[in-house]
Amino acid sequence: MVSRVDGRPTRDRVARAATVTRELNEAVTAAQAGDEEAFRFLYRSLQPALLRYLTTLVGGDAEDVASETWLQISRDLPSFTGGEFRAWSVTIARNRAMDHLRRQRRRPVVPVPVQALNDLAGDADTADRAGEALGTESALALIRTLPPAEAEAVMLRAVIGLDAETAGRVLGRRAGAVRTAAHRGLRRLAALLERAAPEDVPGAVRPRPRTGSQAPHASEAEPAEG
Amino acid sequence: MRPHRSDGPADRAESDRLLDAVHAVPPADADPLTRLLAAAAAPATAGELDGEDRALAAFRAARAAPAVAAPVPASRPRRRLRVAAALSGLAATAVAGVAFAAVRLDRSPPPVVPPAPTTAGPAPTAAGPSRSTPAGPSGAASGAASSPGTPSGSRPAAPPSVGGALVGHCRAWLAKSEPQRAKALTKPGFADLVAAAGGPDRVESYCRTLVPAASPKTPAAKPSPKAPKTPADPSPKKSADDERKPGPGDQDDDED
Repeated sequence: MVSRVDGRPTRDRVARAATVTRELNEAVTAAQAGDEEAFRFLYRSLQPALLRYLTTLVGGDAEDVASETWLQISRDLPSFTGGEFRAWSVTIARNRAMDHLRRQRRRPVVPVPVQALNDLAGDADTADRAGEALGTESALALIRTLPPAEAEAVMLRAVIGLDAETAGRVLGRRAGAVRTAAHRGLRRLAALLERAAPEDVPGAVRPRPRTGSQAPHASEAEPAEG
Repeated sequence: MRPHRSDGPADRAESDRLLDAVHAVPPADADPLTRLLAAAAAPATAGELDGEDRALAAFRAARAAPAVAAPVPASRPRRRLRVAAALSGLAATAVAGVAFAAVRLDRSPPPVVPPAPTTAGPAPTAAGPSRSTPAGPSGAASGAASSPGTPSGSRPAAPPSVGGALVGHCRAWLAKSEPQRAKALTKPGFADLVAAAGGPDRVESYCRTLVPAASPKTPAAKPSPKAPKTPADPSPKKSADDERKPGPGDQDDDED
Protein backbone atom coordinates (compact mmCIF):
# COMPACT_ATOMS: atom_id res chain seq x y z
CA MET A 1 0.00 0.00 0.00
CA VAL A 2 1.08 3.50 -0.51
CA SER A 3 2.51 5.26 2.43
CA ARG A 4 1.78 8.92 2.14
CA VAL A 5 2.98 9.96 5.53
CA ASP A 6 6.61 10.53 4.87
CA GLY A 7 9.24 10.66 2.20
CA ARG A 8 10.99 7.41 2.88
CA PRO A 9 10.46 4.39 0.68
CA THR A 10 7.74 2.37 2.23
CA ARG A 11 8.66 -0.60 4.34
CA ASP A 12 6.42 -2.58 2.07
CA ARG A 13 8.32 -1.63 -0.99
CA VAL A 14 11.68 -2.47 0.52
CA ALA A 15 10.49 -5.84 1.71
CA ARG A 16 8.89 -6.62 -1.62
CA ALA A 17 11.95 -5.63 -3.56
CA ALA A 18 14.15 -7.76 -1.35
CA THR A 19 11.86 -10.73 -1.83
CA VAL A 20 11.84 -10.36 -5.57
CA THR A 21 15.60 -10.02 -5.69
CA ARG A 22 16.08 -13.10 -3.53
CA GLU A 23 13.67 -15.22 -5.56
CA LEU A 24 15.30 -14.20 -8.78
CA ASN A 25 18.77 -14.87 -7.48
CA GLU A 26 17.78 -18.29 -6.24
CA ALA A 27 16.45 -19.02 -9.69
CA VAL A 28 19.65 -17.71 -11.25
CA THR A 29 21.72 -20.03 -9.08
CA ALA A 30 19.57 -22.96 -10.09
CA ALA A 31 19.70 -21.97 -13.74
CA GLN A 32 23.46 -21.66 -13.57
CA ALA A 33 23.48 -25.24 -12.39
CA GLY A 34 21.41 -26.22 -15.38
CA ASP A 35 17.88 -26.09 -14.03
CA GLU A 36 15.73 -25.40 -17.03
CA GLU A 37 12.62 -24.71 -14.99
CA ALA A 38 14.51 -22.06 -13.08
CA PHE A 39 15.45 -20.40 -16.31
CA ARG A 40 11.85 -20.58 -17.41
CA PHE A 41 10.90 -18.85 -14.18
CA LEU A 42 13.41 -16.11 -14.90
CA TYR A 43 12.01 -15.70 -18.37
CA ARG A 44 8.43 -15.50 -17.22
CA SER A 45 9.31 -13.14 -14.42
CA LEU A 46 11.27 -10.71 -16.52
CA GLN A 47 10.18 -10.97 -20.12
CA PRO A 48 6.97 -8.92 -19.93
CA ALA A 49 8.73 -6.00 -18.30
CA LEU A 50 11.76 -6.28 -20.56
CA LEU A 51 9.56 -6.37 -23.62
CA ARG A 52 7.61 -3.33 -22.50
CA TYR A 53 10.77 -1.47 -21.68
CA LEU A 54 12.30 -2.40 -25.03
CA THR A 55 9.19 -1.21 -26.80
CA THR A 56 9.78 2.24 -25.41
CA LEU A 57 13.30 2.08 -26.81
CA VAL A 58 12.90 0.43 -30.20
CA GLY A 59 9.19 0.33 -30.87
CA GLY A 60 7.99 -2.56 -32.97
CA ASP A 61 11.39 -4.24 -33.03
CA ALA A 62 11.18 -4.98 -29.34
CA GLU A 63 10.44 -8.67 -29.87
CA ASP A 64 13.58 -9.17 -31.89
CA VAL A 65 15.71 -7.27 -29.45
CA ALA A 66 14.18 -9.23 -26.60
CA SER A 67 15.21 -12.44 -28.35
CA GLU A 68 18.76 -11.20 -28.65
CA THR A 69 18.62 -10.20 -25.02
CA TRP A 70 17.65 -13.67 -23.88
CA LEU A 71 20.30 -15.19 -26.06
CA GLN A 72 22.89 -13.09 -24.31
CA ILE A 73 21.38 -13.68 -20.89
CA SER A 74 21.61 -17.41 -21.54
CA ARG A 75 25.18 -17.13 -22.61
CA ASP A 76 26.37 -14.78 -19.91
CA LEU A 77 24.40 -16.30 -17.07
CA PRO A 78 27.51 -17.96 -15.62
CA SER A 79 29.09 -14.55 -15.25
CA PHE A 80 26.29 -13.17 -13.10
CA THR A 81 27.77 -13.04 -9.63
CA GLY A 82 24.94 -11.66 -7.59
CA GLY A 83 23.32 -8.34 -7.05
CA GLU A 84 20.18 -7.23 -8.74
CA PHE A 85 19.40 -9.63 -11.56
CA ARG A 86 16.75 -7.35 -13.00
CA ALA A 87 19.28 -4.58 -13.34
CA TRP A 88 21.77 -6.97 -14.91
CA SER A 89 19.21 -8.19 -17.42
CA VAL A 90 17.83 -4.81 -18.26
CA THR A 91 21.34 -3.54 -18.87
CA ILE A 92 21.81 -6.27 -21.42
CA ALA A 93 18.47 -5.42 -22.97
CA ARG A 94 19.39 -1.78 -23.13
CA ASN A 95 22.73 -2.48 -24.76
CA ARG A 96 21.06 -4.67 -27.33
CA ALA A 97 18.53 -1.93 -28.00
CA MET A 98 21.23 0.70 -28.45
CA ASP A 99 23.08 -1.58 -30.84
CA HIS A 100 19.87 -2.15 -32.68
CA LEU A 101 19.17 1.54 -33.04
CA ARG A 102 22.70 2.13 -34.20
CA ARG A 103 22.30 -0.54 -36.83
CA GLN A 104 18.92 0.71 -37.91
CA ARG A 105 19.83 4.35 -37.92
CA ARG A 106 16.31 5.18 -37.20
CA ARG A 107 14.04 5.76 -34.32
CA PRO A 108 10.69 4.43 -33.45
CA VAL A 109 7.81 6.62 -34.43
CA VAL A 110 5.78 7.60 -31.44
CA PRO A 111 2.44 8.96 -32.44
CA VAL A 112 0.30 10.44 -29.76
CA PRO A 113 -2.10 7.63 -29.01
CA VAL A 114 -5.43 9.34 -28.88
CA GLN A 115 -7.21 6.04 -28.61
CA ALA A 116 -5.05 5.03 -25.70
CA LEU A 117 -5.94 8.20 -23.90
CA ASN A 118 -9.56 7.55 -24.47
CA ASP A 119 -9.30 3.96 -23.33
CA LEU A 120 -7.50 4.86 -20.19
CA ALA A 121 -8.86 8.10 -19.02
CA GLY A 122 -12.21 8.49 -20.66
CA ASP A 123 -13.66 5.35 -19.26
CA ALA A 124 -14.93 5.16 -15.73
CA ASP A 125 -14.39 1.42 -15.72
CA THR A 126 -10.70 1.68 -16.40
CA ALA A 127 -9.76 0.77 -12.87
CA ASP A 128 -11.59 -2.51 -13.21
CA ARG A 129 -9.75 -3.31 -16.37
CA ALA A 130 -6.36 -2.11 -15.32
CA GLY A 131 -4.88 -5.56 -15.51
CA GLU A 132 -6.18 -6.40 -18.92
CA ALA A 133 -4.31 -6.12 -22.13
CA LEU A 134 -6.07 -3.03 -23.28
CA GLY A 135 -5.26 -1.08 -20.18
CA THR A 136 -1.66 -2.19 -20.23
CA GLU A 137 -1.11 -1.36 -23.85
CA SER A 138 -2.78 1.99 -23.50
CA ALA A 139 -0.72 2.83 -20.47
CA LEU A 140 2.48 1.89 -22.25
CA ALA A 141 1.47 3.86 -25.31
CA LEU A 142 1.05 6.93 -23.17
CA ILE A 143 4.38 6.46 -21.46
CA ARG A 144 6.00 6.18 -24.86
CA THR A 145 4.84 9.67 -25.72
CA LEU A 146 7.08 11.11 -23.03
CA PRO A 147 10.47 12.50 -23.88
CA PRO A 148 12.71 9.44 -24.03
CA ALA A 149 14.70 10.07 -20.87
CA GLU A 150 11.48 10.48 -18.91
CA ALA A 151 9.86 7.46 -20.49
CA GLU A 152 12.89 5.36 -19.73
CA ALA A 153 13.05 6.50 -16.13
CA VAL A 154 9.38 5.77 -15.60
CA MET A 155 9.70 2.36 -17.21
CA LEU A 156 12.74 1.34 -15.18
CA ARG A 157 11.14 2.49 -11.95
CA ALA A 158 7.54 1.47 -12.45
CA VAL A 159 7.64 -1.50 -14.80
CA ILE A 160 11.04 -3.11 -14.32
CA GLY A 161 10.77 -2.26 -10.64
CA LEU A 162 14.22 -0.83 -9.97
CA ASP A 163 14.84 1.80 -7.35
CA ALA A 164 16.26 5.11 -8.45
CA GLU A 165 19.84 4.23 -7.50
CA THR A 166 19.80 0.99 -9.46
CA ALA A 167 18.07 2.58 -12.41
CA GLY A 168 20.75 5.25 -12.34
CA ARG A 169 23.44 2.60 -12.62
CA VAL A 170 21.68 1.06 -15.59
CA LEU A 171 21.45 4.42 -17.30
CA GLY A 172 24.85 5.72 -16.31
CA ARG A 173 23.20 8.63 -14.58
CA ARG A 174 22.87 9.75 -11.03
CA ALA A 175 19.95 8.62 -8.98
CA GLY A 176 18.84 12.23 -8.62
CA ALA A 177 18.68 12.62 -12.37
CA VAL A 178 16.54 9.50 -12.61
CA ARG A 179 14.23 10.79 -9.90
CA THR A 180 13.86 14.07 -11.68
CA ALA A 181 13.21 12.50 -15.04
CA ALA A 182 10.64 10.13 -13.57
CA HIS A 183 8.96 12.94 -11.70
CA ARG A 184 8.69 15.09 -14.80
CA GLY A 185 7.34 12.13 -16.69
CA LEU A 186 4.66 11.50 -14.10
CA ARG A 187 3.59 15.10 -14.11
CA ARG A 188 3.37 15.06 -17.86
CA LEU A 189 1.32 11.90 -17.77
CA ALA A 190 -0.97 13.37 -15.16
CA ALA A 191 -1.49 16.41 -17.36
CA LEU A 192 -2.29 14.24 -20.34
CA LEU A 193 -4.79 12.24 -18.35
CA GLU A 194 -6.31 15.34 -16.93
CA ARG A 195 -6.96 16.84 -20.31
CA ALA A 196 -8.35 13.64 -21.64
CA ALA A 197 -10.83 13.05 -18.87
CA PRO A 198 -12.74 15.92 -17.42
CA GLU A 199 -14.17 14.77 -14.16
CA ASP A 200 -17.68 16.08 -14.64
CA VAL A 201 -18.16 14.38 -18.01
CA PRO A 202 -16.92 10.88 -17.34
CA GLY A 203 -17.60 9.36 -20.71
CA ALA A 204 -16.69 12.35 -22.76
CA VAL A 205 -13.64 12.32 -24.92
CA ARG A 206 -11.99 15.39 -26.10
CA PRO A 207 -10.83 15.11 -29.63
CA ARG A 208 -7.44 16.68 -29.03
CA PRO A 209 -5.94 15.55 -25.80
CA ARG A 210 -2.48 16.70 -26.70
CA THR A 211 -1.20 19.84 -25.21
CA GLY A 212 0.73 21.26 -28.03
CA SER A 213 3.91 21.85 -26.15
CA GLN A 214 4.36 18.58 -24.34
CA ALA A 215 3.73 15.54 -26.40
CA PRO A 216 5.31 16.34 -29.74
CA HIS A 217 8.94 16.33 -28.76
CA ALA A 218 8.70 12.70 -27.89
CA SER A 219 9.51 11.74 -31.42
CA GLU A 220 12.46 13.99 -31.80
CA ALA A 221 14.83 13.56 -28.96
CA GLU A 222 17.37 10.80 -28.72
CA PRO A 223 15.81 7.55 -27.72
CA ALA A 224 17.63 7.33 -24.47
CA GLU A 225 19.45 10.39 -23.45
CA GLY A 226 17.98 13.36 -21.78
CA MET B 1 -13.23 20.47 -10.26
CA ARG B 2 -11.30 17.32 -9.56
CA PRO B 3 -11.04 15.81 -6.14
CA HIS B 4 -7.33 15.25 -6.57
CA ARG B 5 -4.54 17.29 -8.00
CA SER B 6 -4.69 17.62 -11.71
CA ASP B 7 -1.03 18.26 -12.26
CA GLY B 8 0.31 15.07 -10.82
CA PRO B 9 2.74 14.50 -7.97
CA ALA B 10 3.89 17.67 -6.33
CA ASP B 11 7.55 16.78 -5.90
CA ARG B 12 10.10 14.09 -6.51
CA ALA B 13 9.42 12.46 -3.17
CA GLU B 14 5.79 12.00 -4.02
CA SER B 15 6.72 10.66 -7.44
CA ASP B 16 9.06 8.23 -5.74
CA ARG B 17 6.28 6.99 -3.53
CA LEU B 18 3.98 6.57 -6.47
CA LEU B 19 6.60 4.64 -8.38
CA ASP B 20 7.56 2.49 -5.43
CA ALA B 21 3.96 1.50 -4.91
CA VAL B 22 3.26 0.65 -8.50
CA HIS B 23 2.90 -3.06 -8.14
CA ALA B 24 0.19 -2.74 -5.57
CA VAL B 25 -3.26 -3.23 -6.95
CA PRO B 26 -4.68 0.23 -7.22
CA PRO B 27 -7.71 0.97 -5.12
CA ALA B 28 -10.91 1.49 -7.07
CA ASP B 29 -10.84 5.19 -6.43
CA ALA B 30 -7.20 5.60 -7.35
CA ASP B 31 -6.37 8.60 -9.43
CA PRO B 32 -5.77 8.09 -13.14
CA LEU B 33 -2.01 8.28 -12.85
CA THR B 34 -1.87 5.52 -10.28
CA ARG B 35 -4.10 3.39 -12.47
CA LEU B 36 -1.96 4.08 -15.48
CA LEU B 37 1.19 2.97 -13.70
CA ALA B 38 -0.50 -0.13 -12.37
CA ALA B 39 -1.69 -0.99 -15.86
CA ALA B 40 1.80 -0.49 -17.27
CA ALA B 41 3.17 -2.95 -14.73
CA ALA B 42 0.33 -5.44 -14.93
CA PRO B 43 1.07 -9.14 -15.36
CA ALA B 44 1.96 -10.59 -18.72
CA THR B 45 -0.55 -10.14 -21.47
CA ALA B 46 -1.20 -12.58 -24.25
CA GLY B 47 1.73 -12.86 -26.57
CA GLU B 48 4.35 -11.40 -24.32
CA LEU B 49 5.71 -14.81 -23.46
CA ASP B 50 5.70 -16.11 -27.00
CA GLY B 51 9.47 -16.21 -27.12
CA GLU B 52 9.74 -18.69 -24.28
CA ASP B 53 10.67 -21.65 -26.45
CA ARG B 54 13.34 -19.67 -28.21
CA ALA B 55 14.78 -18.44 -24.95
CA LEU B 56 14.86 -21.96 -23.56
CA ALA B 57 16.53 -23.21 -26.73
CA ALA B 58 19.17 -20.56 -26.27
CA PHE B 59 19.57 -21.60 -22.66
CA ARG B 60 20.03 -25.24 -23.63
CA ALA B 61 22.52 -24.38 -26.30
CA ALA B 62 24.51 -22.18 -23.95
CA ARG B 63 24.43 -24.85 -21.30
CA ALA B 64 25.52 -27.55 -23.65
CA ALA B 65 28.37 -25.57 -25.10
CA PRO B 66 29.42 -23.06 -22.51
CA ALA B 67 32.77 -22.45 -24.12
CA VAL B 68 31.19 -21.60 -27.41
CA ALA B 69 29.72 -18.27 -26.72
CA ALA B 70 26.97 -17.28 -29.04
CA PRO B 71 27.92 -14.20 -30.94
CA VAL B 72 26.73 -10.82 -30.00
CA PRO B 73 25.97 -8.83 -33.09
CA ALA B 74 29.41 -7.55 -33.80
CA SER B 75 30.18 -4.04 -32.91
CA ARG B 76 32.66 -2.43 -35.15
CA PRO B 77 35.86 -2.37 -33.15
CA ARG B 78 35.58 -6.04 -32.66
CA ARG B 79 35.64 -6.88 -36.26
CA ARG B 80 39.36 -6.75 -36.67
CA LEU B 81 39.85 -9.00 -33.75
CA ARG B 82 37.34 -11.31 -35.18
CA VAL B 83 39.13 -11.55 -38.48
CA ALA B 84 42.41 -12.23 -36.77
CA ALA B 85 40.87 -14.91 -34.66
CA ALA B 86 39.16 -16.38 -37.64
CA LEU B 87 42.45 -16.65 -39.47
CA SER B 88 44.36 -18.12 -36.61
CA GLY B 89 41.58 -20.46 -35.80
CA LEU B 90 40.93 -21.44 -39.34
CA ALA B 91 42.00 -25.01 -38.98
CA ALA B 92 39.78 -25.52 -36.03
CA THR B 93 36.79 -23.59 -37.11
CA ALA B 94 35.34 -25.85 -39.60
CA VAL B 95 34.21 -25.40 -43.07
CA ALA B 96 31.19 -27.36 -42.19
CA GLY B 97 31.28 -31.09 -42.54
CA VAL B 98 34.83 -31.81 -43.48
CA ALA B 99 36.26 -30.11 -40.49
CA PHE B 100 34.00 -31.95 -38.15
CA ALA B 101 35.99 -35.06 -38.68
CA ALA B 102 39.28 -33.24 -38.47
CA VAL B 103 38.47 -31.49 -35.27
CA ARG B 104 37.11 -34.62 -33.87
CA LEU B 105 40.53 -36.19 -34.06
CA ASP B 106 41.86 -33.44 -31.85
CA ARG B 107 39.42 -34.11 -29.18
CA SER B 108 39.77 -36.86 -26.73
CA PRO B 109 36.16 -37.57 -26.04
CA PRO B 110 35.41 -39.01 -22.67
CA PRO B 111 34.65 -42.70 -22.83
CA VAL B 112 31.08 -42.10 -21.90
CA VAL B 113 29.49 -38.93 -23.09
CA PRO B 114 26.49 -38.30 -20.93
CA PRO B 115 23.75 -36.77 -22.97
CA ALA B 116 23.25 -33.16 -22.09
CA PRO B 117 20.33 -33.19 -19.73
CA THR B 118 18.78 -30.16 -21.28
CA THR B 119 19.17 -31.00 -24.91
CA ALA B 120 16.28 -32.39 -26.78
CA GLY B 121 16.71 -35.02 -29.36
CA PRO B 122 18.68 -38.21 -29.67
CA ALA B 123 21.85 -36.45 -30.74
CA PRO B 124 23.31 -39.32 -32.66
CA THR B 125 26.41 -37.39 -33.52
CA ALA B 126 27.00 -36.09 -30.07
CA ALA B 127 30.73 -36.13 -30.54
CA GLY B 128 30.66 -33.00 -32.59
CA PRO B 129 33.50 -30.57 -32.55
CA SER B 130 33.76 -27.95 -29.96
CA ARG B 131 34.78 -25.62 -32.65
CA SER B 132 36.59 -22.44 -32.16
CA THR B 133 38.17 -23.55 -28.97
CA PRO B 134 41.45 -25.16 -29.82
CA ALA B 135 41.68 -26.31 -26.24
CA GLY B 136 38.97 -28.68 -27.15
CA PRO B 137 37.94 -31.37 -24.80
CA SER B 138 36.82 -29.52 -21.74
CA GLY B 139 34.31 -26.88 -22.45
CA ALA B 140 34.13 -25.92 -18.85
CA ALA B 141 37.87 -25.57 -18.56
CA SER B 142 38.26 -23.36 -21.55
CA GLY B 143 35.28 -21.36 -20.44
CA ALA B 144 36.98 -20.68 -17.16
CA ALA B 145 40.19 -19.79 -18.88
CA SER B 146 38.51 -17.43 -21.23
CA SER B 147 36.57 -15.41 -18.74
CA PRO B 148 38.88 -14.22 -16.05
CA GLY B 149 37.23 -12.56 -13.16
CA THR B 150 34.04 -14.47 -13.57
CA PRO B 151 33.05 -17.29 -11.32
CA SER B 152 33.24 -19.96 -13.91
CA GLY B 153 34.03 -22.33 -11.13
CA SER B 154 30.40 -22.25 -10.21
CA ARG B 155 29.56 -23.63 -13.57
CA PRO B 156 29.33 -27.36 -13.32
CA ALA B 157 31.40 -29.36 -15.73
CA ALA B 158 29.06 -29.63 -18.66
CA PRO B 159 28.90 -32.25 -21.29
CA PRO B 160 31.03 -30.52 -23.82
CA SER B 161 29.78 -31.37 -27.18
CA VAL B 162 26.08 -31.63 -27.82
CA GLY B 163 25.33 -27.95 -28.12
CA GLY B 164 28.51 -27.55 -30.09
CA ALA B 165 27.26 -30.20 -32.44
CA LEU B 166 23.98 -28.38 -32.86
CA VAL B 167 25.78 -25.15 -33.56
CA GLY B 168 27.96 -26.97 -36.02
CA HIS B 169 24.99 -28.58 -37.66
CA CYS B 170 23.28 -25.26 -37.92
CA ARG B 171 26.34 -23.80 -39.48
CA ALA B 172 26.59 -26.62 -41.93
CA TRP B 173 22.93 -26.44 -42.70
CA LEU B 174 22.91 -22.69 -43.16
CA ALA B 175 25.85 -23.06 -45.51
CA LYS B 176 23.76 -25.16 -47.84
CA SER B 177 21.92 -23.73 -50.75
CA GLU B 178 18.21 -23.24 -50.48
CA PRO B 179 17.23 -26.39 -52.38
CA GLN B 180 19.68 -28.54 -50.49
CA ARG B 181 18.40 -27.49 -47.12
CA ALA B 182 15.05 -29.19 -47.19
CA LYS B 183 16.65 -32.36 -48.43
CA ALA B 184 19.32 -32.27 -45.78
CA LEU B 185 16.75 -32.22 -43.05
CA THR B 186 15.52 -35.62 -44.10
CA LYS B 187 18.96 -37.10 -43.51
CA PRO B 188 19.71 -38.83 -40.23
CA GLY B 189 22.68 -36.57 -39.62
CA PHE B 190 20.36 -33.65 -39.10
CA ALA B 191 17.75 -35.52 -37.13
CA ASP B 192 18.89 -34.13 -33.83
CA LEU B 193 18.87 -30.63 -35.23
CA VAL B 194 15.30 -31.06 -36.40
CA ALA B 195 14.37 -32.44 -33.02
CA ALA B 196 16.04 -29.62 -31.16
CA ALA B 197 14.43 -27.03 -33.35
CA GLY B 198 11.02 -28.59 -32.92
CA GLY B 199 10.40 -29.46 -36.55
CA PRO B 200 11.89 -29.05 -40.00
CA ASP B 201 10.09 -25.80 -40.64
CA ARG B 202 11.58 -24.28 -37.52
CA VAL B 203 15.16 -25.19 -38.20
CA GLU B 204 15.94 -21.96 -39.94
CA SER B 205 14.77 -19.69 -37.17
CA TYR B 206 16.31 -21.97 -34.59
CA CYS B 207 19.65 -21.86 -36.34
CA ARG B 208 19.48 -18.15 -36.83
CA THR B 209 18.94 -17.78 -33.12
CA LEU B 210 21.82 -20.10 -32.40
CA VAL B 211 24.14 -18.67 -35.01
CA PRO B 212 22.77 -15.19 -35.59
CA ALA B 213 25.88 -13.43 -36.76
CA ALA B 214 27.14 -15.99 -39.20
CA SER B 215 26.01 -15.50 -42.69
CA PRO B 216 25.59 -18.67 -44.67
CA LYS B 217 28.63 -17.88 -46.74
CA THR B 218 31.01 -17.39 -43.87
CA PRO B 219 30.83 -20.33 -41.60
CA ALA B 220 34.16 -19.46 -40.03
CA ALA B 221 32.94 -16.15 -38.77
CA LYS B 222 32.25 -17.30 -35.31
CA PRO B 223 35.29 -17.90 -33.27
CA SER B 224 34.63 -16.46 -29.92
CA PRO B 225 37.16 -13.71 -29.65
CA LYS B 226 35.02 -11.79 -27.30
CA ALA B 227 34.80 -14.52 -24.72
CA PRO B 228 37.69 -13.14 -22.70
CA LYS B 229 35.90 -9.87 -22.50
CA THR B 230 32.83 -11.17 -20.81
CA PRO B 231 32.71 -9.25 -17.57
CA ALA B 232 30.76 -10.06 -14.51
CA ASP B 233 28.77 -6.94 -15.00
CA PRO B 234 27.42 -6.34 -18.45
CA SER B 235 27.35 -2.62 -18.27
CA PRO B 236 30.95 -1.79 -19.08
CA LYS B 237 30.98 -4.22 -21.96
CA LYS B 238 29.30 -2.33 -24.69
CA SER B 239 30.54 0.66 -26.46
CA ALA B 240 27.00 1.84 -26.15
CA ASP B 241 27.72 2.69 -22.59
CA ASP B 242 30.29 5.20 -23.60
CA GLU B 243 27.49 7.35 -24.73
CA ARG B 244 25.65 6.86 -21.54
CA LYS B 245 27.96 8.48 -19.09
CA PRO B 246 26.50 11.34 -17.19
CA GLY B 247 26.62 14.23 -19.52
CA PRO B 248 25.93 17.88 -19.47
CA GLY B 249 22.28 17.09 -19.82
CA ASP B 250 22.26 15.62 -16.37
CA GLN B 251 23.41 18.62 -14.53
CA ASP B 252 20.30 20.68 -14.60
CA ASP B 253 18.21 17.64 -14.04
CA ASP B 254 19.08 17.25 -10.47
CA GLU B 255 17.35 20.27 -9.19
CA ASP B 256 13.70 20.47 -9.57
